[in-house]
Amino acid sequence: MATTNLNPRAESYRRSWVIEWLTTVDHKKIGIMYIVNSFLFFFAAGILALVIRSELAIPGLQFLDESTYNQAFTMHGTIMIFLFVVPVLAGFANYIVPLMLGAPDMAFPRINALSFWMLPLGGLLIFSGYLFGGAAAEGWTGYAPLSSNADKFSAGVGTDLWIMGLVFVGTSSILGSVNFITTIFKMRAPGMTIFRMPIFVWTVLVTAILILLATPVLTAGLIALFIDRNYGGSFFDPAAGGNPILWQHLFWFFGHPEVYIVILPAMGVVSEILPVFSRKPLFGYRAFVYATIGIGLLSWSVWAHHMFTTGRVFLPFFAFMTALIAVPTGVKMFNWMATMWRGSITFATPMLFAIGFITMFLIGGISGVILSSPPIDFHLQDTYFVVAHLHYVFFGGSVFGVFAATYFWFPKMFGRRLNEKLGKTHFWIHFIGFNLTFFPMHSLGILGMPRRIADYSPDAGWTIYNLMSTAGAFMIAVSIVPFLINVVATLINGERVGDDPWEANTLEWATTSPPPPYNFDTLPPIRSERPVFDLRHKHDAEQLAIEGTPIGTGERP
Amino acid sequence: MRRTVAANRWRMALRAGLLFAVAMLLGGCLVPREPATTQAETTFSLYILILVMAGIVFVGVEGFIVFSVFRYRRRDDRLPEQIHGNNRIEVIWTIIPTVIVLIIFVFSMGALGTVQAKSPNPAVTVEVDAFQWQWTFRYRDDDNDPNNDYSVTGSAQQPPVMTLPVGQPIRLVLHSLDVIHSFYVPQFLIKEDVVPVPEGTADNELEFTIERAGTYSGQCAEFCGTGHANMAFSIQAMEQADYDAWIAAARAGESPPPAPPPADATVIELNAKNIAFDTDRIEVPAGKPFIIRFTNQEAVPHNVGIYSGGTELFQGENITGPDTTVDYQVPALEVGEYDFLCTIHPTMNGTLVAQ
Repeated sequence: MATTNLNPRAESYRRSWVIEWLTTVDHKKIGIMYIVNSFLFFFAAGILALVIRSELAIPGLQFLDESTYNQAFTMHGTIMIFLFVVPVLAGFANYIVPLMLGAPDMAFPRINALSFWMLPLGGLLIFSGYLFGGAAAEGWTGYAPLSSNADKFSAGVGTDLWIMGLVFVGTSSILGSVNFITTIFKMRAPGMTIFRMPIFVWTVLVTAILILLATPVLTAGLIALFIDRNYGGSFFDPAAGGNPILWQHLFWFFGHPEVYIVILPAMGVVSEILPVFSRKPLFGYRAFVYATIGIGLLSWSVWAHHMFTTGRVFLPFFAFMTALIAVPTGVKMFNWMATMWRGSITFATPMLFAIGFITMFLIGGISGVILSSPPIDFHLQDTYFVVAHLHYVFFGGSVFGVFAATYFWFPKMFGRRLNEKLGKTHFWIHFIGFNLTFFPMHSLGILGMPRRIADYSPDAGWTIYNLMSTAGAFMIAVSIVPFLINVVATLINGERVGDDPWEANTLEWATTSPPPPYNFDTLPPIRSERPVFDLRHKHDAEQLAIEGTPIGTGERP
Repeated sequence: MRRTVAANRWRMALRAGLLFAVAMLLGGCLVPREPATTQAETTFSLYILILVMAGIVFVGVEGFIVFSVFRYRRRDDRLPEQIHGNNRIEVIWTIIPTVIVLIIFVFSMGALGTVQAKSPNPAVTVEVDAFQWQWTFRYRDDDNDPNNDYSVTGSAQQPPVMTLPVGQPIRLVLHSLDVIHSFYVPQFLIKEDVVPVPEGTADNELEFTIERAGTYSGQCAEFCGTGHANMAFSIQAMEQADYDAWIAAARAGESPPPAPPPADATVIELNAKNIAFDTDRIEVPAGKPFIIRFTNQEAVPHNVGIYSGGTELFQGENITGPDTTVDYQVPALEVGEYDFLCTIHPTMNGTLVAQ
């Protein structure tokens, strides 16, 4: 019997790198494409944010007319949520999850490529409204009947392109989630039991389940909206017996789990980084897993808190469930705090962004609890307080998590570490700019400034806070400059740092940087949630067996 | 070496601390303006209670994080004790947030009852019609005929004013003629969405009792299209006696007897539908009064005004369809070109030529 010797490191046949990247089904290349694509959309939507903030800096319409302004904030919200935060985290998950599980690739590599390529397609469809008489301008929530009646309220194909683009993006997410769930359940290396999976993998698993259950609801709603607009459907048209509130139910039944889809993987990133730079395991691994599952379950019962002021929802139930979801989130906060407590903490850039995450996400969590109280929500709903709240969650939370992940895993992806000095410069300008932009928005909301207005009265007393906010927005934009310089300079001439520069815990650090196409030549034994830590401290464990000295009390070998 | 590292850390701490202090002071207005209704008083107290609890949690957690950052920074190569968890502590810190949110929930439900309470006989009931992008406030009277109620409709130049008495329960019936709007008065600490509903479905209602005379500004809080930012209004609250005098005068002046049109006057037909006139050019004889027979074919208020540059030459009253017709009697115009427009929807406009 003949045997074939397959060398996983054998050279494949030569082809141009363009073809290679366009046709790749390697989860690492797809992950990088996800991340790069998401950052491009991040910069586009960030420019829109600067446009919005410029217009709002002082009273009066200086740069835009109202309809351009409405397009700008609609595109900003849509692109940031659907084409930056969700896919960028999916990109990191794509790259890291198979490595963390000791798997050679995702379960369905071709579906993985398909779900990536639908993203730029959907994103460009959404943006292409600008070429056809104006982009969608109904807000990222697209409330009916403003969005559903094309004859009266929202003429133009911009909104139709927005709908179809979102259907593509949603389909991409659904395919991706099936892939993640299958990979996590079926592709784990021997020894990688479910309770030894890194927390990041847990958060990606719960996120994928949320996407799988929530996104089809949005897709169905979007198609109903498309029918209403183009073929005289009356799902949401009150004049024909439809119900505009139904759209809000469909949208938020997807939209609130979406918030956790966006925040859970970022929580996972932080839960990987804090232990590494505190040199301690995550405090309360199981509690953290249960809290993640708890958030996932509760996220199905809180959607109508976006609709308190419609006068058409049962307030006590949704107020109670919304308050309750703060509990597992609080548990996670305590876990992170206890992980740092009595640790040995170093402050590399990933750690700075991770600490930035927990300090800023706390503010978003607190303002969320404030908004969960219906009488207070009656005042603050649809004001800048909500804008502040959601940015402390999405930006202070998720985006800080994204940057933490970028600095943390960059050496794994490219073998080179991003420059620490530029990284820290980026962090501090970013952190200060972020607070300067979004903290004053709390005050604006409390003083009664509604969101989504192109202009406001000079007598309202809002000008000073708006000016601060605009200054902060430009500061955030400035902070991106050292980041970009850092990425380019490091790729060209960065410090080569070997396979495990951070002395990290999880399996992705047990292979080379960057990993070979099939990820692992050999796998270390997996006996805990920190196989690479165990490998590094094997000597300690042996010493423990011989002398009975507990790990971590003696000098490092 | 070690000292400079420590000094850097302190500088970092100082920067972080300063940042928060500055953010808190500059962005420091976290308390709403003085509440103006009895309902708002309740919400205000609840808000202060929750804000204090939020402040304690904020200072406690951020304080702990900042403390850990300085106290437990890496000093040597020793591996810290590998603590994996502690069941007792984890149970305790699950219970703490549960208790906090339950307290907030219970107090919120108590306040909600007060804020949403409806009185059997409100002293004043105002029908609020919201439409792109203005408001009509219609004062309900005793004869059950909505057509002769006194009403105020705002225009882009003149936001509408809702005049109300203090110390009395006021009921608003919130009716939308097109998309979703939201009636929001920041100093009342409340908003309620104005939702278009199928025929026969109840409109949202909002009730409050104003405590102090004064002017309170408000605006639409639900994004409703291009002119969303322009849907401002104000509430003018006055003592009961002043209000009685005002509403009596307003109602008396409401229906002046229509004067008979001159027999030989030119009649111009003008129709409005889908927020547009059916023509953008009208020709009339110069030097003679004429009639614009204006038909509003939709359930959105419109009017016709005639302007020369920015100067008002004629302003017709608002009418609301479907299929309501009014004869506007326009005084004589000199030879020239003028603008005509609906002042509620300035995008509805055209040229009027007198020759």
